[in-house]
Amino acid sequence: MDILSGLIGGFGVILTPANLYYCFLGSLVGTLIGVLPGIGPLATLSLLLPFTFNLPAVSAIVMLAAIFYGAMYGGSTTSILVNIPGEAASVITCLDGYQMARQGKAGRALGIAALGSFFAGTLSTAALTLFSPVLVAFALRFGPPEYFALMALGFVITLFMVAGSTLKAVVVLALGVFFSTIGLDIVTGKERFTFGLIEISGGFELVAVIMGLFGVSEILLNMEKMAKGEFFKKRLGSLLPTRADWRASGGPILRGSLLGFGLGVLPGGGPTTASFFSYAVERRVSKEPQRFGAGAIEGVAGPEAANNAAVGGSLIPLLSLGLPSNAVTALLLGALIIQGVQPGPMLMTQRPDIYWGVIASLYVGNVMLLVLNLPLVGLWVQLLKLPYWILFPNILLLAVVGTYSAGHSFFDVWVMIAFGMVGYALRKLDYEPAPFVLALVLGPQLEQALRQSLIMSEGSVSIFFTRPLTAVLLVLAAALVALLIVGVWSRRGLSRRLTQALKESSR
Amino acid sequence: MKRLLAIAGLLLVFGVLPAMAESEAEIKARINALKPADFPTQPIEFVVVYPAGGGMDVTARLLAKYVEKYTEQRIIVLNKVGGAGLVGNAYVATQAKADGYTVGVLSDGSWTDALLKAPGKWTQKNFQPLAYLNYEPRTWIVSTSGPFANKSTREIVEHAKQNPGKVKVAITPGLSGEWLAEQIEGLSGAKLIKVPFQGGAPAITALLGGHIDVAGVYYSEYQGHLAAGKVRVIGVASDRRLASMPQVPTLNEALGAKDLVWEVWRYAATPRGAPEERRKYLAAALEAALRDPGLIAEYAKKGAITERKYASVDEVEAAMDLLYERARNFFAKTGRLK
Repeated sequence: MDILSGLIGGFGVILTPANLYYCFLGSLVGTLIGVLPGIGPLATLSLLLPFTFNLPAVSAIVMLAAIFYGAMYGGSTTSILVNIPGEAASVITCLDGYQMARQGKAGRALGIAALGSFFAGTLSTAALTLFSPVLVAFALRFGPPEYFALMALGFVITLFMVAGSTLKAVVVLALGVFFSTIGLDIVTGKERFTFGLIEISGGFELVAVIMGLFGVSEILLNMEKMAKGEFFKKRLGSLLPTRADWRASGGPILRGSLLGFGLGVLPGGGPTTASFFSYAVERRVSKEPQRFGAGAIEGVAGPEAANNAAVGGSLIPLLSLGLPSNAVTALLLGALIIQGVQPGPMLMTQRPDIYWGVIASLYVGNVMLLVLNLPLVGLWVQLLKLPYWILFPNILLLAVVGTYSAGHSFFDVWVMIAFGMVGYALRKLDYEPAPFVLALVLGPQLEQALRQSLIMSEGSVSIFFTRPLTAVLLVLAAALVALLIVGVWSRRGLSRRLTQALKESSR
Repeated sequence: MKRLLAIAGLLLVFGVLPAMAESEAEIKARINALKPADFPTQPIEFVVVYPAGGGMDVTARLLAKYVEKYTEQRIIVLNKVGGAGLVGNAYVATQAKADGYTVGVLSDGSWTDALLKAPGKWTQKNFQPLAYLNYEPRTWIVSTSGPFANKSTREIVEHAKQNPGKVKVAITPGLSGEWLAEQIEGLSGAKLIKVPFQGGAPAITALLGGHIDVAGVYYSEYQGHLAAGKVRVIGVASDRRLASMPQVPTLNEALGAKDLVWEVWRYAATPRGAPEERRKYLAAALEAALRDPGLIAEYAKKGAITERKYASVDEVEAAMDLLYERARNFFAKTGRLK
């Protein structure tokens, strides 16, 4: 009953007017920066960090954590409304969310994103409360070979994600992998493909790439449509998910929560990876995968649940091991250290107020975010009424500001514009750019894990088959590839059925 | 003897005590007297070349907090991240304006980058030091649940010599952990498996999970695990033992060597050529911050050692020159520099 008394103590810490205020403030700021394209939690936290110096440690961490998960709530908004992700973890939400908006279901998509986020956030907090010590032990079993297998599985899964041609997905993925190798070699420290440009010696800034591929290219595409006068008619529709939406979303939210939490716990995982995995899984288990990419609510519910659950998961290695699993939790770690708190195995006993206070704040924060976000759905949907000649220049402005603030480098703004052109070309040619982002995120991790493993085994590939966890994951990946090949084989039959289904649905 | 004591006493009363007793207001007034009329009119930027939340970042943010206290000027910590520090170092060395608004909170990595990654583009002379901050020696640690839980450095190195390829050491490529492992290989003839990690945190995770045997990391990175008894420190890459763990030998002692000294050496600098009166003002503010017992305590808590002092900026610069030469010689000897 240590857990129960700890949690009650945590609520005691958090349910004071001051701490509730900071939790609310964090949730609000998080939602706003999640909504603004380009401006992500990382840039915001590093800007706000100095303001927390004079707060008590608990208040500071509660507020900063609320910004992090608040951003996951808000991130889906622009993905759904204008096809431009608010941050990396919402890239995948564009695929179906935007299609739903085009069909007049924007409110339903936003509603399910908020509710799904709430359930996932609460579920993952419960898991964090109950299973933290067990999960730490499990996460530690992941060494370089296990990460390699997990990342390999991630790449294979991406191929199931995209609606169109698998070959095109492979091309985009390969392009992403190539771009992920730009920068310093992780073993030798030598520069690769940088042509001596110091600005890209660390690789391309992820925010710049995302804002270019999705934001700038979307604006270009829309300008073209406006010029041709083929813009879609705006319909607002119902604001809340229907009962049918709920029935369709229950499974995805549950699966997304589990997946997101699990990936969040692993150092190196995180919200972005989790959202991609969830989308691929939903498309795979769906009876009608052809609906994905054409406005399937499962494609919104799953990933949005996953990215929120991942936040809860990623707090486990942070609080219990003092190990950040991504850049945002690294900043939270820094904030704790500046406050004189050393996260790690002793935190729970030495500073129970912080450990349980943060956990309790997650329950409270999720409720606040739900209350905050549901009424906002109506407001956000009104944004669609704005004429595009007002909306898009403003989005572009925000994208420039967000990109610049990510690395304080104007070079990144040029990168964004260049990737805008690339994204425009890709989409004109029917290549879905989302796998590019995943490859850029997973590529360096895969390379690192592979090279670490082979150094550990002195070059022998047997290391991938003698470790049970690695072997299982790799066999799973191989089975999926086999499935894919069989699928391509019977593609003919599939495409015939698909056209038939489309005909029926349009009737 | 008595006379000596009396002189010492007099010195204490008339020399040291008044200096120590200088109140916060007096220090502020002294710094303010040095403030140029036209500076600063906008926030001063502390540039950190590593990601937010890391060791350098925390060092800079704590420093900023205390410099703000003494100057009442706004300071912004800017993380110029990328290429394992290269992007930010190049920024301070070659791109930032030398107007006093850019202060690099840097480490010895600023000149090893110049030597190894950007040869010919800049040298340590592009950084004009304002103050020396602190240092932190690299340490070798093992897991208390691993096969080397109770072994000494000498025993582990001996084991690696007898069984080549059996001891896995976590390193970060291009940083001192890698060079330390190489030096130990060189002087003992042992073959270590050097597994590359991007920084200390992932290396410690792998150590705790039993995927590697030894990690060459900093105290601030494993503090919590040491307190919980999950890891044990087996050697310190410094010329003296750490005051916080006097029972742990230096690696030089453990292996009978002389040059196993790898410390992160942290300093603040402007790009060379910033106006001298602005530099004097900044240097005075930094010095006051670094003497503040609050900052000294906060640095100590995160494992950084502040006891080494330099009397003047010139001495800091002379020390930089020495360390630069030492690094250059090491890189030349190991074939990294042609």
